[in-house]
Amino acid sequence: MVMFSKFRRFEIMDENNRRAKFSDLSVALLEGDYPPVTNLFYQSDKKFMKLDWREVKEIDWKKREIKVSDLNAAEEVSLERKKEYVLLQHEILDALILDLQNRRSIRANDLQLEEIGGRLQLQAADTSFNAILRRISRGLYNRISQSGLYDWKYVEFLRGEPQAVRSGAGYHLRITRLSTGEIAQLAGYLPYLHAAELITLLPDAKAAKTLEVMPIERQLQVFEELDEKQGVDLLARMAPDAAADLVGLLQPKTMRRYLEKIPRRQSERIIELLRYPEDTVGGIMTNDIAFLGEDLTIGEARNLIPEKFSETDFVHLVYIVSDLKSRCLRGVVHLRNLFADNEEKLKDIMDPFISTLNATDAAKEAAYRVVESQLAAMPVTDADGKLLGAVTIDAAIMHIAPAMNAEGLRIFS
Amino acid sequence: MNNEPTPEGLEALDSINAELPTEPRKLPSGIRVRIRGRSINLRGLKRPPKGLMRWLLILGPGLVATSAGNDAGGIATYSSAGAKFGYQLIWVMLLLTVSFAIVQEMCSRLGAATGRGLLDLIREKFGIGWTLFIVGIVIIANGGVTLSEFVGIGAASELLGVSRYISVPLGAVLLWYLVIYGSYAKVEKIFLLMTLVFFAYPVAAVLGHPDWGAVARGAFIPTIKWDSDYIFLLVGVLGTTITPYIQIFQQSSIVERGAARRHYGDEKIDAYVGSIFSNTMSVAMIIATAATLYVAGKHDIESAADAAKALEPVVGSSATAMFAVGLLGASLLAGAVLPLATSYAVSEAFGIPKGVNLDFRRGRVFFSIFTALIILGAGIALIPNVPVFSLLVGVQVLNGVLLPIILVFILLLVNDEGMMGDLKNSAVYNFLGWATFAMITIAVVVMLGGQLLDLLGIKLFGG
Repeated sequence: MVMFSKFRRFEIMDENNRRAKFSDLSVALLEGDYPPVTNLFYQSDKKFMKLDWREVKEIDWKKREIKVSDLNAAEEVSLERKKEYVLLQHEILDALILDLQNRRSIRANDLQLEEIGGRLQLQAADTSFNAILRRISRGLYNRISQSGLYDWKYVEFLRGEPQAVRSGAGYHLRITRLSTGEIAQLAGYLPYLHAAELITLLPDAKAAKTLEVMPIERQLQVFEELDEKQGVDLLARMAPDAAADLVGLLQPKTMRRYLEKIPRRQSERIIELLRYPEDTVGGIMTNDIAFLGEDLTIGEARNLIPEKFSETDFVHLVYIVSDLKSRCLRGVVHLRNLFADNEEKLKDIMDPFISTLNATDAAKEAAYRVVESQLAAMPVTDADGKLLGAVTIDAAIMHIAPAMNAEGLRIFS
Repeated sequence: MNNEPTPEGLEALDSINAELPTEPRKLPSGIRVRIRGRSINLRGLKRPPKGLMRWLLILGPGLVATSAGNDAGGIATYSSAGAKFGYQLIWVMLLLTVSFAIVQEMCSRLGAATGRGLLDLIREKFGIGWTLFIVGIVIIANGGVTLSEFVGIGAASELLGVSRYISVPLGAVLLWYLVIYGSYAKVEKIFLLMTLVFFAYPVAAVLGHPDWGAVARGAFIPTIKWDSDYIFLLVGVLGTTITPYIQIFQQSSIVERGAARRHYGDEKIDAYVGSIFSNTMSVAMIIATAATLYVAGKHDIESAADAAKALEPVVGSSATAMFAVGLLGASLLAGAVLPLATSYAVSEAFGIPKGVNLDFRRGRVFFSIFTALIILGAGIALIPNVPVFSLLVGVQVLNGVLLPIILVFILLLVNDEGMMGDLKNSAVYNFLGWATFAMITIAVVVMLGGQLLDLLGIKLFGG
């Protein structure tokens, strides 16, 4: 085991006793949990030279020498080609890394390398203060703190460049093991370009949910760094209320372009929500809700669920309407009521005593009503009683408790 | 469910709906947008306010950071410049405004383009050695200046008739509470409101009945004196105006405010307005003391409180009160900005979560550094006869060493095309930036050289 800070002071020597000063190591980031070292770099006459790691014959740990067969086998690497390699010194050392076990971002103060089966591999990132002392003492201080070492298997390395993902740079996607809330929280600690890179590398469904729970200002910063195709995909997958909040912040031209590109159904929902000012009930409601006609039986309703509500945002409560065209609100049933085994009609089991909100009412008062009602959501109707959407308890809390806005609350939807 | 008896006082939805008001609330007009061939009125689009409000909302980190530079030490330097040399140093302030604005704007641009603070970038691009060197100096220098701010709070409150034993702890608790429990947006608003106290200085300047012709001559006809006091004050004015913590704070707060590279523009205005505002206030301080103390022959001013006290017999208690109010506000503002700049710097250097928006659980190190500096600053300021002046001289030396280094890093970073893209420095900016670096470096060499030679008993200049 050797720390990279120590390894950097090793000298390269070939069989003809030619010497060169070590410059960097490249690793194959995606090859296993512990990336193997692939190339050795040194500088010669201001040129950046690359030598395949297979040319390394022996590492003399005592003499601090890396013995290679022939330094002449090295090839010059241009600045442009240098970008193709993941370099330990140049890219990973001192960079922000994600420690997935502790769900935090931290700087890699040093890197631990290990020789296993003749291969040198990146084993851990040292985030301790001891690592800094080792580096500045130039070998005089050698203590390693085990508690500061983070197994590379649980580390995600970001470059701070969203375009790196698009240009095919490798990522382990270990981050996808975390929940969307945890990813959003981690992204909150990162500079916005790192956060955008994180969103870019996630699968679209997870990226959309993660984006939803980020604070709205961060959502905008990140969204604007995505390419248009991914932006369209994410807007199409986001809950309409979250998508409307985000789209509402875009420049009108950009907003129009996105609304024309996302699927029509989602676009219509977003547009419906954007018709209401943000300080009204319509401005905080969601219109992606479950509703069924009152004349359906429980059995018929149950059969419709997979087809109609598999992608619906808010399904905890199912609103019962006169018919699907006029959508005049009649009552509500809880989703669990639809698992009862009988042929009763929905209008016979629904709760007709429900409070409603008007889409043009003040949002703040309505939010208090939802919270005080202890309901998962309160339906929103127009003046004629037509069901327009619902204000969920999450949206209500977010509206009245500014501190909660730091991280979006999306439990019920 | 509907088989249950209807509870008394409740009616089914049908009857409730029948009683709902049919007149909907009148909604404000929205923006008409044509989407997929349909013209739709959208009221939910968030548009920036127009008119004066829009301009006021642009102001933020730039104005706060640059105003914090007019702290107790700054007021002392500018007052001393006015008391000792009248209006002769005003031209330096005009020249410095350009440099100041350029440097502050580059920091804003770096913050918006990268989303990272200055120490984040220095660590990533220049390594741990330089980072530790800078962070070490920042902690010591900012700690010393924070102490001087609390001494300033105490002195100003005593001029206004309130004991320092009340004002210093009270000020410390207020600042601590504001930053620990406030959001970034709230803290920024309060800081912006605090900058209003600086208007006390133009009022004090007018109360001093200056000779405006002489002011104009001082502003537009450069005077150079080969006199050690003049040269050192000139260097002092330079070092007080452009100080490392102002750049660190500005870039970090731009990042925390959420500026992004695609909309960079407003931050530029903020940086320019802040620099112009701050230096205008500095000029007002010079004019206020030049018109009164210099004319009355009171040339030796060591602190801002000295200047305020000296004003009383010359122009009366109103100017003194104005000076004291300004000093109190300036010290309070800098008393919060300096520990914050330090917390940002340390957190960025080591990759620790940072930001006023965090809660204490998530920003333990960030808030602990802030808290420690506030407690140390306020605590030491209450000890009688603390040698603040000698301490400030030491701090000035440290900041002097740091400033050229920080400027080089800013200039190198802002020219990194891979990182900055379209926001890379233009040729004009580079010329002005490197000219500022040269000017600052000469000033620092003169200051440090002068102090060294002074220790050896050698006089560099006459006078």
